[in-house]
Amino acid sequence: MSSEIKAINMPKWGMEMSEGDINAWHVNIGDKVNAGDDLVDVETSKIVNTVTASGSGILRAIVANPGEAHIVGALLGVLAAADTSDADIQAFIASRSAAPAAELPTPAVAETKAAASVQLAAAPQEAAAPQHSASGMSQLAAGGDDSHVFASPVARRLAAEYGVNLNNIIGTGRHDRVSKRDLEEAVVAAGGRLIGGTTGPSSTPQFGDDSNVKATPVARRMASQLGINLFECRVSGDRGRVCKADVEAVAALKNKLSMPTSGGSSASKSEYDVKAISGMRKTIAARLQSSKQTAPHFRVQIDAEIDALLEVRAQINNANPEAKVSVNDFIVKACASALVKVPAVNVQFDGEELKYFENAHISVAVAIDDGLITPIVADANRKGLVAISQEVRDLATRAKLSRLKPEEFQGGSFCVSNLGMFGIKQFDAIINPPQGAILAVGAGEQRAVVKAGQLAVATVMSLTLSSDHRIIDGAVAAKFMSVLKGYLEQPATMLG
Amino acid sequence: MQHYDLMVVGGGPGGYVAAIRAAQLGFKTALVEKQHLGGVCLNWGCIPTKALLHGANVAHTIKAAEHLGFTVDNLSFDINKLVKHSRSVADKLSQGIAYLMKKNGVVVIDGTASLADKYRLDVSHNGVVTQYKADNIILATGARARNLPTIKIDGQRVWGAREAMTPTALPRRLLVIGAGAIGVEFASLYNDLRCDVTLVEALPRIVPVEDADISALAEKAFKQRGIKVHTSTLVKALDTSGADTIAHLETASGAQTVAVDQVILAVGITGNIENLGLEQLSVATEANFIKTDAFGKTNLAGLYAIGDVAGAPWLAHKASHEAVICVEKIAGVEDVKPLNKQRVPGCTYCRPQIASVGLTEAQAIAAGHSVNVGRFNLNANGKSLAINEGDGLVKTLFDANTGELLGAHMIGAEVTEQIQGFVIAQQLEATEHELAHTIFAHPTVSESMHESVLDSLGLAIHQ
Repeated sequence: MSSEIKAINMPKWGMEMSEGDINAWHVNIGDKVNAGDDLVDVETSKIVNTVTASGSGILRAIVANPGEAHIVGALLGVLAAADTSDADIQAFIASRSAAPAAELPTPAVAETKAAASVQLAAAPQEAAAPQHSASGMSQLAAGGDDSHVFASPVARRLAAEYGVNLNNIIGTGRHDRVSKRDLEEAVVAAGGRLIGGTTGPSSTPQFGDDSNVKATPVARRMASQLGINLFECRVSGDRGRVCKADVEAVAALKNKLSMPTSGGSSASKSEYDVKAISGMRKTIAARLQSSKQTAPHFRVQIDAEIDALLEVRAQINNANPEAKVSVNDFIVKACASALVKVPAVNVQFDGEELKYFENAHISVAVAIDDGLITPIVADANRKGLVAISQEVRDLATRAKLSRLKPEEFQGGSFCVSNLGMFGIKQFDAIINPPQGAILAVGAGEQRAVVKAGQLAVATVMSLTLSSDHRIIDGAVAAKFMSVLKGYLEQPATMLG
Repeated sequence: MQHYDLMVVGGGPGGYVAAIRAAQLGFKTALVEKQHLGGVCLNWGCIPTKALLHGANVAHTIKAAEHLGFTVDNLSFDINKLVKHSRSVADKLSQGIAYLMKKNGVVVIDGTASLADKYRLDVSHNGVVTQYKADNIILATGARARNLPTIKIDGQRVWGAREAMTPTALPRRLLVIGAGAIGVEFASLYNDLRCDVTLVEALPRIVPVEDADISALAEKAFKQRGIKVHTSTLVKALDTSGADTIAHLETASGAQTVAVDQVILAVGITGNIENLGLEQLSVATEANFIKTDAFGKTNLAGLYAIGDVAGAPWLAHKASHEAVICVEKIAGVEDVKPLNKQRVPGCTYCRPQIASVGLTEAQAIAAGHSVNVGRFNLNANGKSLAINEGDGLVKTLFDANTGELLGAHMIGAEVTEQIQGFVIAQQLEATEHELAHTIFAHPTVSESMHESVLDSLGLAIHQ
C-alpha cells in the first residue's frame, strides 16, 4: 500500500543549500501529475527553481505551504494513486514528520505546535469562501445547504434573520464553531446593519496551528498530551471530527516507528550523572561550533561614556509611567541606528551569498533554564525606546516560559549579548550564524578618564564586536563601533 | 535584591488564583499577604457568612418543624458556638490556601507591600522593609466596607461586616443600613436568630441591582418574616449618646426615629488603594478603584490590578477569573478572552435565596432588545412545596429575534446552586429552544427553570 505513495521532497541544489522557501505550487490537490511535470517553485538563498515530478500519480496532499521554509529532504507533498485511502496518506505524512526531529535549523525551544499545516484533499472545502469581502450582503447569502456548518444556536438563528449562508462564515469559536460574534462581524464587514441593540465585534482571537481541525474534546486533549498534531490524524468521528480512535492510531504508528532506546548498563554506582543533552543544548552546540569553525572571528573593542545616556534614561522613566527603559534597551536602539548607518554589518551570510537588510532585526540573548535563546526585536530602527523596552520584556518573559513563536527567535540580522548585570567588564561573543556580527556588552562602571589633560570620573562601558571576517573587514567593524559609540555618548542623536 | 518573575499583592480569591496560575505557567512567583491567606472572601466574607447563614437556616427549620409534626421543647441557642463554627471553617480553608501555595511552589511573603518604583516592591513586616524586584506585579488588594459621611463603623454601636459576623451576643433590636447583598444577608441572618430587624435602603427597592420583580418578592418575603423594610429612606443621623441608639430616618412620608441596640452599616465598598505607592508613580485610579484595560493592565509599566480593587462587580468569582486571564495574557497564552461582565452570575444568600445572571428586564429593554419574558412561580413546583419553600420565582429573558438568553433571575430555595445552568446556557449561546428541549429531572426545584423558559414561548405546562 504505501509502496504506491511517493514523497515529494525538498531537493538539494548544490553544496551550500540547507533549506528552501516554498514559493508556489503549480498543481492543486487532486490533479493528475506525470513524470517531469512542474510541481512547486522553491527559492533558496541563491535561486528560484522548480521541483518536478519523479513519477506519475495524483497530488494527494500538500505539506509545505507557500511562504514556509523547509530543510533539505523535508516532505513537501504526497503523490499517490487515486485508490490509496486518505488514512494511508495521513499515516505516511505522520511517519515522515515523526522521524527527523533532531535536525532543526535554529534553536527549537519554543512550542513544537508549529508543525506545518497540511492540506488534504479530504478536508472540507470551506476555505475558499470570499467571506468579509466588501461586496455586500448578497455574497454572504450565496451557497448551498448550510445545515452541516458547526454554529451556535444563536448564530444559526441570527443567520436566518440576516439571510446569511453559514458556509460563508469562518468560525472562531471553540472547535471553530461559528459564534454570534463571527456572524455579526461578517455582517458588519459586508456592510450590513446589526439587528437590535447587540454589541459590536471586538478583538479576534488567534489559534494555534491545528486548532482549525475539527476534533472531539477528548481527541484534542489526547493529541496535545501525546504531542500529536491533529492534522496527522485521519477523520473518522461523526460530523467530520477527529475522534479518540484516530489519535490513538497515530500514537500507535509513532510508537512502532520510534526505535526502542537500549537500556544501557546501569550496574555499578557512578561518580557522575549521565544525562542526555537537551535538544536546545544540541542546537546551541552545533551552531556555535559551526560558527567558530567556519567564520573567522575578529574583535574590535571600544569604550563608551554613558553618563549622558543615564541622564536621558532617568528623564524618560520619570516622565512616563509606562516606561522603564534599561541601558540595554538604549544599546539595542543604538545598534539599530548604527546598523542603518553602516549597513555592511547588518547582514546574514550563508557561506555563498550575502543578505543585506534594510531594517535592523536585533536578536537579544536571553539566558533561560539550561540554555539561552535569542528573541528578535524586529525593525528596531523604526521603533521608539519605550516600545523596544516593552517588547524586550515581553519576549524575555515568554522566552523563560518557553512560549515564543518560531518567528520570534529565528532570523535576526545582528545580535546583542549583555553580561553587564553580572559585573562583567568585557567579554567576546561567538557570532550567531547566519548573522555577520555580535556585540558583547560589559558593565557600565565609574572609571578614571583623562579629559583635556585632566583626570576625571566617568561612567564607562566596554563594548566588543565579534565580526565574520569573510564578509566584514576591520575598517567596517571599526566604523560601526565608532558610530555606535557616538549614539551612546550623545543619545539625542539616535532619536532623530 | 530578591527577584521574581511575578509578584502578587493580596492573597484573596484574585491574588492566590493569580499566583497559582502564574506558577503553573512557569513564572517564579511570590505572593505578599499582610494578614490571612484567602482574603476577605474566605476569612471575612463569603465563606464565614455562609456558615452563619447555615445556622440561621437551622433556626428556620426548627421554627417550621411544628407544621411537620415535631414539638421542639427546651430550645436554647448559643451564638458563640455558631460563630466558632464559622471561624473554624474560615481557618480550615485558609490553611488549605497555604497548602496550595506550597504545592505550586509559590513563595508566600508575610507583610505589607507598596510600590517603590516600576517593577519594585517594598514589603514591610514587623518594622523591617525588604526590597523586591519583579517583572510583573499584580495588585489584588481587594476592598473594604465604605463609611457614610455622617455614619462610620466604630466596632461598637456601628458594626461593619467583620464585626457583624463575630458577635459575642445577639442584639435585641438591629438596624441594617443598606439593602445590597451584604445588608440583606445580615438582615435575614439576625431575623432568623430572633432579632428585631429594621432594614433601610436609600433606593426605592431592596437588592437594587436585581430585577425589579425579584426585589418586590424579596421585600414581600422579608416583611412576612417580620423584618421592617424602609425603602427610599435615608439615615440622616445616629444618636449614640444614650443607652439606645436612635436613628433619625428620612422616609418618603416624613421623618421618623427608630431605637435600636445595634447598627450594621452595609452601604457598599471602597477599593484598598491607599499606601500602595500608586500616587507617586502616577498610577491611574477612578473613584477609589484602579483603572485597567480588559486584561488588568494599568498605565504603569509592569503593573496589573485584578478583583475588587480593579472595580465592579465585587465578586470573588470575578476576581478569580480576572486573575487567570491577566496572568495568561502576560504569559502570551493564545486565545485569552476578556471577562464578559454580562456572564458573571451573582448570588445572595438571604432567605429566600436570590441568584441572577445577565440583564434585568429594564436593562434589556433599555439596551434595545425586544424581550420575551418567561415567569414561573415556585408555588406550582412540586419539590418546592414538598420542602415547604413555595415562595419564589424564576424569570427568564430572551431576545425575541435571536433567542439569546439575555438574563435569568431567580428567587427561592437553593437557587444559588441552580443559576449555573443558565450561566452555562449563556456561555454556549443556547437559545430558548435548546433549553426547552433539555430534560430537567423530576422532582427538582430546577424544573421551574424549564417551565420559565417554556413560559417565554407560551408553552408552560404547569401554570
